Amino acid sequence: MMKLVGRTGLYLALIASSIAMLVPFYWMLTTSFKLEGDVFAYPPEWIPQPATILHYVEVWTSLPFARFLFNSLFVAAMVTLSNVFFCTLAGYAFGKLKFPGRDKIFFLLLLTLMVPFQVNLIPLYKLMDLFKWLDTYWALIVPSATSVFGIYLMRQYILSIPDEILDSARVDGCSEFGIFWRVVAPLSLPGVATLAIFTFMGSWTAFLWPMIVTGSMNMRTLPVGIALLQEYHTTNWTQIMAGSTIAALPMIIVFLFMQRQFIEGLTAGAVKR
Amino acid sequence: MKKLLVLLGVGLVVALVACAAPATPVPPTATPPTEVTTITFWDYYGLAATPFTPEMIAAFEKENPSIKVKYESLDWDAMFEKLSVALTTGTPPDVATVDMTWVPTWASLGGFTDLGPLSGGKVNGAPFNEAFTAGALEAMTYEGKVVTLIEDFDVYCLYYRSDLFEEKGLEVPTTWDELVEVGQELAEDTDGDGAPDKYLYGYWPDAFRWSQFLYENGGSILNPENTEAIFNSPEGVEATQFFVDMVNEYHIAFDIGEEEAIPGIKDGRIAMFSDGPYMMGVIKDGAPELEGKWKVAPHPYSKQPGSYLGGTGLVIPVRAANKEAAWKFIEFAMRLENAIGVYKYSGAAPGLKAALESPEVSVRDPYFGDQVTLPVFLEATETARHFPYVRQWNEMYDIIGEGVTAALLEEKTVQQALDDAVAEINALLAE
Amino acid sequence: MEISTGRRIGLAIRKYYMAYLFILGPVVLTMVFLFIPMISSFAFSLTEWSGIQPPKFIGLANYQRLIFHDRKFIKSFINTTIFVILGQGSGPVFGLLSALALNQRVRFRAAFRTAYFLPVMTSLVVVATIWKMLYNENGLVNFLLKMVGLPTTRWLMNPSTALLSIIVTSVWQGFGFETVIFLAALQAIPKELYEAAMIDGANAWNRFRHVTLPSLRPVIVMIYIIGIIGTYQVFDQIYVMTGGGPLNNSQSIVGYLYDNFHYMKFGYASAVAYILFAILALFSYLQMRFLGREE
Repeated sequence: MMKLVGRTGLYLALIASSIAMLVPFYWMLTTSFKLEGDVFAYPPEWIPQPATILHYVEVWTSLPFARFLFNSLFVAAMVTLSNVFFCTLAGYAFGKLKFPGRDKIFFLLLLTLMVPFQVNLIPLYKLMDLFKWLDTYWALIVPSATSVFGIYLMRQYILSIPDEILDSARVDGCSEFGIFWRVVAPLSLPGVATLAIFTFMGSWTAFLWPMIVTGSMNMRTLPVGIALLQEYHTTNWTQIMAGSTIAALPMIIVFLFMQRQFIEGLTAGAVKR
Repeated sequence: MKKLLVLLGVGLVVALVACAAPATPVPPTATPPTEVTTITFWDYYGLAATPFTPEMIAAFEKENPSIKVKYESLDWDAMFEKLSVALTTGTPPDVATVDMTWVPTWASLGGFTDLGPLSGGKVNGAPFNEAFTAGALEAMTYEGKVVTLIEDFDVYCLYYRSDLFEEKGLEVPTTWDELVEVGQELAEDTDGDGAPDKYLYGYWPDAFRWSQFLYENGGSILNPENTEAIFNSPEGVEATQFFVDMVNEYHIAFDIGEEEAIPGIKDGRIAMFSDGPYMMGVIKDGAPELEGKWKVAPHPYSKQPGSYLGGTGLVIPVRAANKEAAWKFIEFAMRLENAIGVYKYSGAAPGLKAALESPEVSVRDPYFGDQVTLPVFLEATETARHFPYVRQWNEMYDIIGEGVTAALLEEKTVQQALDDAVAEINALLAE
Repeated sequence: MEISTGRRIGLAIRKYYMAYLFILGPVVLTMVFLFIPMISSFAFSLTEWSGIQPPKFIGLANYQRLIFHDRKFIKSFINTTIFVILGQGSGPVFGLLSALALNQRVRFRAAFRTAYFLPVMTSLVVVATIWKMLYNENGLVNFLLKMVGLPTTRWLMNPSTALLSIIVTSVWQGFGFETVIFLAALQAIPKELYEAAMIDGANAWNRFRHVTLPSLRPVIVMIYIIGIIGTYQVFDQIYVMTGGGPLNNSQSIVGYLYDNFHYMKFGYASAVAYILFAILALFSYLQMRFLGREE
């Protein structure tokens, strides 16, 4: 009996809190279908009446949204791939290999996490200028091609791989890279999934750097493009919500599909133990 | 550890050397006709400017086959961010639109090219003092050098719901007292909480709006030498007191909050506000259903008419690479038909005098009840004052806004809020 | 296993050289795109630099000014610290609670998990914009509060509530991250430990105290370290929702840094960053000393 009450209570709490998480998204969605004057109607409109898809049309036609989507996708994919490669490799090296200076170098890398990105804006911009990378994909991809946080993450994960497996592979005559490729990499796939999702997310939602470093319409990414919907002293809430919905969808789809691997990844490594 | 120190040392040297690059102006090169120069043009009119701006660019390129224009359209915020960064490097855009209130800080740091030598003092054949009004020319000049050409000007007048005024038999207010009377007649309490919430005067407690009241009461932000803040004078205190009393005492006004102008206009919370010509375009786009219900008039004042004067200017950053080509483009943009185009696509008032006097902009506007609106703003420019041209303006703007907000929210008395702001600004100016 | 000395040395050399090769990419990238800008901006922090004019060396004057004379900087530091305390005080707690709930045998676990994680996957700018709408005077938050008779206000425009409102939004957005991490960690706790505890007669609370919490300790520590270092650098949501106002009551350290860019005081802004860096470095050091090796 107690158990039933307990379980009902549990479900109630879960449902209530999940609703609290979803309501703002519901609001984003419904606002994108409202008329501008109804956005702040009081009492708030739960269901847009009247509803219109005009804003989606406006947003899609007044801005090259398809291009923004492509740019965001391309950049995020490249950044994710390169991060997966570099961070797993380096994570393995810092975690399992012994070499002089290993801990000192790792510590120096970690230090960079404590400096806010904004302070490097000007020097980085100048660097992009120097390399002639302004307003190109290079500027969007290369500075983010690796992340210290990613290295940290992969190192954590790889640390849990038993040394014996690696040693025996080594003794069997496997090359260092071979060990990485054939032993470590497959075992770290779950961690890689986690890294991939976080990296993709970070790149997809990045705003400040892409805004500063790109300017022409066909180089902008989604967040920067959406910012264009803002006008002097007025926010087109409906249009911005429409744009934001379009921008949020891919991430949601990616997560829904990769969710199983992602969560499996976090748990599989653990269960194995 | 030692290695780290060496690294740091090298890095420091490299950094300081790299950034000590002097601001040498690029000498104009004589480009042979077959070589194509590409100039970069950034503007912040944003989406409102299409398709006008791309068409203008195409026309320019056609007339000048050796110049190509790379066009980047930004919004106002992004322009501010990006230009701040771009001006510090070696490749800023060749031409950019700037808000006139950004000019003090950037011009004082030498960020803009002196257009005098580049232009020979003329634009499209007309000397500057014929092409622009005296007020505009003064705003375009910093320490004797013309650093920008005004593309559109911004000055504040009263926007009011003419239909409501007619309904209630109200006259357009010309003094502050009349404003209070009219405001109280208009304001309504629709949610029964005792405080009026509809048909109010909407404003923002920022330097733009507050300064209008300051100037109208005979006050001033800085002394004539620009060395000291003096807006805590009796005139300033009186003006600020009235400004906050509109909300707290008379209940005829409210603080709109960011980005709520259009929703507030549409749902009737705002029946009066003070803004510039640009707003005409915004309100037409955002509230088409209120056509015919709005009019503009000079803003009511206590002692003398007054307003801030601003607008959009075209500049050539001092480190731009192609100044001659950039100037050609600016001249093209300042041609009569393009200057008039500014009014047509954005509702903003063109900076060029000839455009202002053109019959094409003195048209009856059906949205504003067939009123000829631009001359109202034009008249206001004669008594409008631009913000002080000092390097610290950007920071001063924030300090003033904080002071006025503190007074409005009654966190401080008006005198205290102004005194504190003045003290802070004086410290700033003394640096 | 016997291997010859020569082969052992050969293996050792190969091992080092390959290791350096493995870290070459990240190290070079970090050097070029992080270290060099960091050193450069640190150098600027010792100067007065408007960006357009050449920098002027002034030693530690910026730092002195910030720490001893800058009211706004101190305020932003206090605001940020409040943000960290409240945010890190509640976020991980919600994360743990929701993870514990999901760890029970519940159906539709994946659906609940997705609900919690959805905000984490959404850009902070989008989240902040949506909440800006919700916090509006006529927005959903006030509507719901009125329904239950609670007081309402203009959340983002009231100097007393602006910071708190932003913190609520941040926690809403971020705790799903902790949910997922805790859930994975909970599922890694060997069932035998719980079984043993139950045999010993421990009730649910004691099981939690003596089995769950100790097992989660390394994860909790990691979450707090990352959380504190990250939250001290909070910027995006404040920038979008209030710009630091009203009256600088919601301004963060990085927000103040950014303001100084607008004032064309790049040297000063850099000094702000390095004071923050010093604070975070000190924090990491203390944490390492007292909590053992940073794992």
